[in-house]
Formats: sequence, structure tokens, C-alpha cells
Amino acid sequence: MIKILYTLLLFTVIILGNDKPTLTIYTYDAFAVSWGPGPKIKEAFEKEYDCNVKFVGMSSSIGALRKIQLEGKNTKADILLGLDTNIAQAANKTGLFAAHDLNTSSLDLPIDYTDDYFVPYDYSYVAFVYDENKLENPPLSFEALASMPEDFKIVIQDPRSSTPGLSLLLWVKEIYKDKAGAYWKKLSPHILTITKGWSEAYGLFLRGEADMVLSYTTSPAYHIIDENRTNFKSAHFKEGHYGQIEVAAMLKSSKNKDLAKKFLRFMHSETFADIIPTANWAYPVVTTKQGLPKAFETLTHPSKMILLEGKKVEAHRKEIINEWLKALER
Amino acid sequence: MLQNVKRLKYSLLPGGFVSLLLLGFAFLLFFILFLSQESANVTQLDSRIFSLLKFTLYQAFLSTLLSVFVGITLAWSLAHQSHFKGRSLLVGLFSSSLVLPTLIVVFGLIGIYGRNGWINQLSLYVFDHSFGSYLYGLTGILVAHVYLNASFASRSLLHTFESIPKEKYKLAKSLNFTTFQRFLYVELPALKPTLFSIASTIFLLCFTSFAIVLVLGGSPSYNTLEVAIYEAVKLDFDIAMALKLALIQLGISTLLVVFSSNFRTHLTNLKTSSVTLPWVEPKPIKQIQMAIISLFALFFLTPLLAIVIDGMGADFGKIVSETLFIKSFFTSIILATISSILTVVIAVLLSDAKRNFTLKERLENAKFSRIFNIIISFSGNLYLAIPSLIMGLGFFLLSQTYEAPLVVWSTIALLTANVLMSLPFALSILAPAMQKTAQRYDKLVFSLNLTTLQRWVYCEYPYLKASLGYVLALSFCFSLGDLGIIALFGSDDFSTLPWYLYQLMGSYRTSDAAGVALILLSITLSVFIVLPKLFRSSVAKDN
Repeated sequence: MIKILYTLLLFTVIILGNDKPTLTIYTYDAFAVSWGPGPKIKEAFEKEYDCNVKFVGMSSSIGALRKIQLEGKNTKADILLGLDTNIAQAANKTGLFAAHDLNTSSLDLPIDYTDDYFVPYDYSYVAFVYDENKLENPPLSFEALASMPEDFKIVIQDPRSSTPGLSLLLWVKEIYKDKAGAYWKKLSPHILTITKGWSEAYGLFLRGEADMVLSYTTSPAYHIIDENRTNFKSAHFKEGHYGQIEVAAMLKSSKNKDLAKKFLRFMHSETFADIIPTANWAYPVVTTKQGLPKAFETLTHPSKMILLEGKKVEAHRKEIINEWLKALER
Repeated sequence: MLQNVKRLKYSLLPGGFVSLLLLGFAFLLFFILFLSQESANVTQLDSRIFSLLKFTLYQAFLSTLLSVFVGITLAWSLAHQSHFKGRSLLVGLFSSSLVLPTLIVVFGLIGIYGRNGWINQLSLYVFDHSFGSYLYGLTGILVAHVYLNASFASRSLLHTFESIPKEKYKLAKSLNFTTFQRFLYVELPALKPTLFSIASTIFLLCFTSFAIVLVLGGSPSYNTLEVAIYEAVKLDFDIAMALKLALIQLGISTLLVVFSSNFRTHLTNLKTSSVTLPWVEPKPIKQIQMAIISLFALFFLTPLLAIVIDGMGADFGKIVSETLFIKSFFTSIILATISSILTVVIAVLLSDAKRNFTLKERLENAKFSRIFNIIISFSGNLYLAIPSLIMGLGFFLLSQTYEAPLVVWSTIALLTANVLMSLPFALSILAPAMQKTAQRYDKLVFSLNLTTLQRWVYCEYPYLKASLGYVLALSFCFSLGDLGIIALFGSDDFSTLPWYLYQLMGSYRTSDAAGVALILLSITLSVFIVLPKLFRSSVAKDN
């Protein structure tokens, strides 16, 4: 027994003896994976601030938030990265996050957004993505989408766990108002499955399980730049596109608050902004000398971003989700 | 009588203690759930709960009906076709369905029936037509449930078919019964008692089905209570809702267990004695029977084949060098080893205590024997009613109150759930076997005045060896393949193979997932086949 304790003690000493601080960031899996932006950002930040960065990926960003709630004050996370403005208010209510006191008013966003706790780091527009070779006439509005032939299938994400899923829910709500429930009922035969997170849905789509997937207007850039394939497109909906501003915040319980704040500031550096377009496949929040890659010019760029105010979303989120759940009941 | 009690104290006390512990734990669980419910602000009972319940019962009912029907026809066919090549292998494989990790089954089924599965690819190639995606939703849930439960049912029913005395068949023949009459008057009456307990067990398993519904349900409209509990915790962090659902689920499944109080799996590791009937079946009947067997074999084997073929293409070098894979692999193996040993020990203690109350030479005639017998059986079978996810919720609430690293709580939760989950099955195998050994050797053992240790070494162990090995293998596989409680506790720090596989299936790393599925399948099947062989004994052959 004493030997075991001794070994444990030794291990602790070894771990503590490593003097570089480690910044732990909880995020969604597509951000943390080896081909995502995580490793590149880790490398750049570690070089600049002489520390270790550890990205921990969950199946979805809201999943990452739930994990933090589950771990409570004992959480190892210093930063939660990957929520969007729709769910940030719900996260605030947990009281687990710390204010950042950065000035974010000069950021390059299509809509004004400032928050005491959450800092934006990129944005995009929610859209349905399809393969041009398999689908010649994609639906270009919500009405057209719901009126597709019966065997036309889409994959969407669960609004309770995934930010694009929640965005779609709010998008439909904003367009259909009190008829949103009826619309979901009409759409439901076309929903192949509802996944917990974006990766799973996109994976199903790429495997050919569905005709369209809920993703972003910027997703085709991945196929153009990384795979040299131009057959993936996002359908330009005439009703306009719901926006998604992704945000990060540091935790009250963090033991590395200074470093965490440096990271939040780093998200507005040119280095970070140059990594985002070709790794997270979204628009950065600062304009850089290098600018956006050429492929981004070929993407659909909605003229207007539909985005509900965070507080308003939070006040009605449960209600809207319940309406959705009810509409999908059979 | 007192003398008897004194003599049997080493067999009464440990088992009794374990039994009390089990009951106590169940009580504690109820207590925690109930208590937390009051402190959590109660979300109102809305119509969603009602429709969840409706669907859960509906799919369980359909699944049971289909499984039992397929199980009967299959068992009937197998019973009358006892001499074709590969029969024992086939029967052996069917019985392995009990231990196949549900996630593996789902993975294999997607490989065959998915939008890009074999059937659609074949049909595209031949007819240039794809059936699209029909697997997600109720169809998928039913197919997977029938896959797992029909083979399980057929295995148990085959045993019943084969224990019908030959004389009855002879009588039927001499009365010139048609095949249908023979089934109606000879076979059905023999099946009836087994049928009820099998149907209720299958209903219970489908009622609490989790992994299958999680992956194949595909949308909130096809949720069962179990999945809704998981979602309430994991997606909404709505503990009040989870508690409410859990209490409803618990209430219903407890009721079901009480109804099917005589839980019997009719599982044996012993080879069925193939009864040779003195005549062959009429030709058309034979053809029907062979067709049924071939069809089900095809249905059963193709998903497994799909896993093997898809898995072969995976890059195993890359898979086994992933840290998360290594972590999950060792966690799974270690947890399965510990929990299978614990299961065997607890099952032995309980069965040992139980037989005191059912044997004439012991305490059968004592006043409270019946009650004690029921209490002990109940304490073991009770956990059939408590889905592991609800146990998980209990542990989760405890972990919120009593601070300890989450890994510690996760380990405890997983071990407990795994042991308690396999316990009913372990008991259903061990209790009859131990009853039998005691029946045979009690008088001898008592007259020789053997000590408890001597009794175990010379008498019990040699005869129980085979059953012990089987229980060990069964609970090892159960624990290895379970995707239940880990869904609540799983993370990068604490992961098991099924959870890792679920994560891979959820990302677009299909080929890695196929590789991991193959690894999991190989471990399960080899443990299930090899482990009982190691314990095979020469003495128990006639058992």
C-alpha cells in the first residue's frame, strides 16, 4: 500500500515538475482532430507563449458544454471553444464562465456582436450542402425542400446538442414563425436521421447515405482546396441564410486565467485568422494581409445574415425545441 | 432444524449477505433517484412522455412478437432437421447472439441493409435500382431486435423441442397426425411454459433497449424511454426530466419482472442430445424447414461477414497505435475480467445459499424457506428490471454530491452495472447446476463430514467447472460489449471499446470503425468459444 502511495506521489511530482503550464481547451471534434484547425493553432500558440495546449474534442460543442457542467468546478477545461451566439446565453446561466474584458467591437463581423463572457473567433452561414454529380436540381427554398420526392433524404443535427442544428431550428422559426411546427411536420419524412453533432452528419452524407446535409456555405471550400473536387455545393436559399458566429470563453475555475485570456486575444491575431479559412472552413473575424483563399470567391455568399439575438433565443429555446420534438412525433 | 442451520452456516451466511447487499443497493438507488427528484425542479409531465412510453411499448411488443415467431419456426426447423452438415456450428453461432455486442450487430446490419449496404449495391448493380435508406427508424429497430432475440429464443426453444419424449412423436405418428396437428398437440403444449418466460424476457430486453435505438432510431420520433433518459442528461442536462423518465421506466420494468418472476433463460453450455426420430420428415416439409434454416442463417451470418470483410480492409497498424484505442482496449479488458470474476463469485454464493431452501436434506421444510428462496432469487433477478442507464443516473447523481475524480466514479459505476447486468443470466445457469450437484452428493458429503473447502475441491468444483467457465465467458462478453452506462460516463479520459467504436461511427472514420468492430467481434467470439473449453471437464459430461 505504501509503495502504491509512494508511486502515486512520484507521479504527481513528475507531473507538477513539468513547469510549462498546460492550457486545456474543450471543443467539438472537428476542431480538435488532426486534420482540423486544432493542431495548427496549438503549434502557433505554443511557439508564441511557451506553454502546452491540449484540445479535447467532444462529439459536439454543446456536448463539450455538458461535459463541463458534469465536471462542475473540477473541470480540467480552461477554455470552452465552439459554442455559438445562440447557445452562449444558456452557457452563461451556468455561472461557470469568467468575463474576458477584451474589446471586441472592432471585429470584422457581418453583424454587431459583443458579449462580456464570449469572444467570437469565426463565422459562417448555415446551409444545405449537396453533391452536384448526384443531385442536379437542388431545392432552393424551404418550400422546395419540403416538396422534394419522397425518397429525397437529408441529414440534420439535433438542436439540443449541435449548434448548426440549433441554427436550423431558429432559421425555420424566424421564417415560419408560428407555422414552424407545421413546416417540420411536412419536412420530417425527408429527414433520414438526426445526429448528435456535425461530424457524424457530414460523414453520413459523404458516405452517400443522404442527398443533402445541414452544414455551412463555406464547407465546399474544403472539397475544392483539400480534395480538388468542385462538385460539392451549398444550396442558396431564397429566404436568406442563418448565420453562425462561433465563440469561446474561459472558465471561472481555470487555474491558467492569464494564459487563457492570452489565447482569447490570440484568436484575433492574423496567425489565427489565416489558419481558420482552410482548417475550420469558415470566415475569420479579422482581415489579414494574406486575405481569403481564392476558392472562397466561388462560394455562395448570402447578402444578409439572419441572426436572432442571444437573449431572445434563450428565452424561447426550450419552447422552440419542444415544438420541434412534438412535430417530429409519429 | 437448528442443527441444520448450524451445519449450513458457511453456505447460508455469505449468500444471504450478498443477497441483502443487492437488495440494499437497489433500495439505495431508488432512494437516490426519489430524493433527487424532489430537490430538482420538476418539469411538467407533458404529452411527450406519454408518446415516448407509447412508442417504447409498441416497438417492444412488435419486436417480441416477431422474435418469438421467428424463434419458434427456426427452432422447429432445427429440431426436425438434426442431420445436416454444419448444424452444430450454426446452433453454436445462434447462441452466441446473446453475447454479441449490440453495437457490433448494428454495425453489421448497416453494412448489409444501409443505404450503401450490400443489398442496395447488389440491386444497383443488377437492376440499377437502390432501395434507398429504409433501415433507420422502426424498421431498423425491429430488424436488430429480431436478429438478437430470435436467435436467442430459437436456442432456448430448440432445447425444449429436443426434450419432448420420443414416445409422443411415435404416438403422433401412429395417429397419423399432419405436421400441423403434431405441432398443435405435441409440440405446442411442451413449448408453452418456456414460451411465456422467453417472451417476457425478450419484451423486457427490447423495452430497455438502448444502443440499437440510439444508433438506428435516428430521430426523436423513434426514441425509447432509455434513450430519452440519456438525451435528457447528455443533451439537455435536464436532470429533473431524466429522473422522471427513469422512475416511470423503473416502475414499468419492475412490474414486468414481477410478472416474469420465474426468469429462466434455458441456457446451457451442454450440447443438446440430438434426438433421432425413427423416420424422416415428408419431403415438402423438409424443404420448408431447410429453407427456413437457410434464410435465417443468411440473415444471421451476412452482417457478421460484412464486419469481417469491411474490417479486413482497415489499417490495423494505425488503429492499434492510437492512444485512445489502447486506453479503451485495456479499460475494456480489465473491466470485463474483474466484473466476470465478481459475477461468478456472487452467482455462486447466491446459488449456494438458495439451494439450502430447496433441498429436502437441507431446509426445504423449514418455516420460512419459501420466502427466503424467493428473496434470494428476487435479489439477483431484480437487476433485469433496472436498466444500466438508470443505474448510471444514480451513480451520476452520487458523483455530483460526493466529489471524487470522475474516473473513479465511472469505474465503480461500470463495474457495478456490468456485474449486476450479467447476474440474472449467471444465476439462471448456475442455480440449477448447483442444485443438481447438491441433490446428488449432499448425503455423501455430509456422511463423510467434509469441510466446506474439501467439499468444493472434491465435489463441487469438478462438476461445476464447465458451468463456471460458461458463466465466466458470458459475463466477460456482456461486460466487454456493453454500450449503456459508458454512454453517460464515456470521455477521452475514460473509454471502452464499444464507446470508442460508437465515437468512430459518429465521425467519418468508417474504415477505422470497421477495424475496431472486427477486433471487438473477434475478441467476443473467441472468448465465448475458447473460455468454456478451458473449463471443460470429463466428469460433468453426463450432467
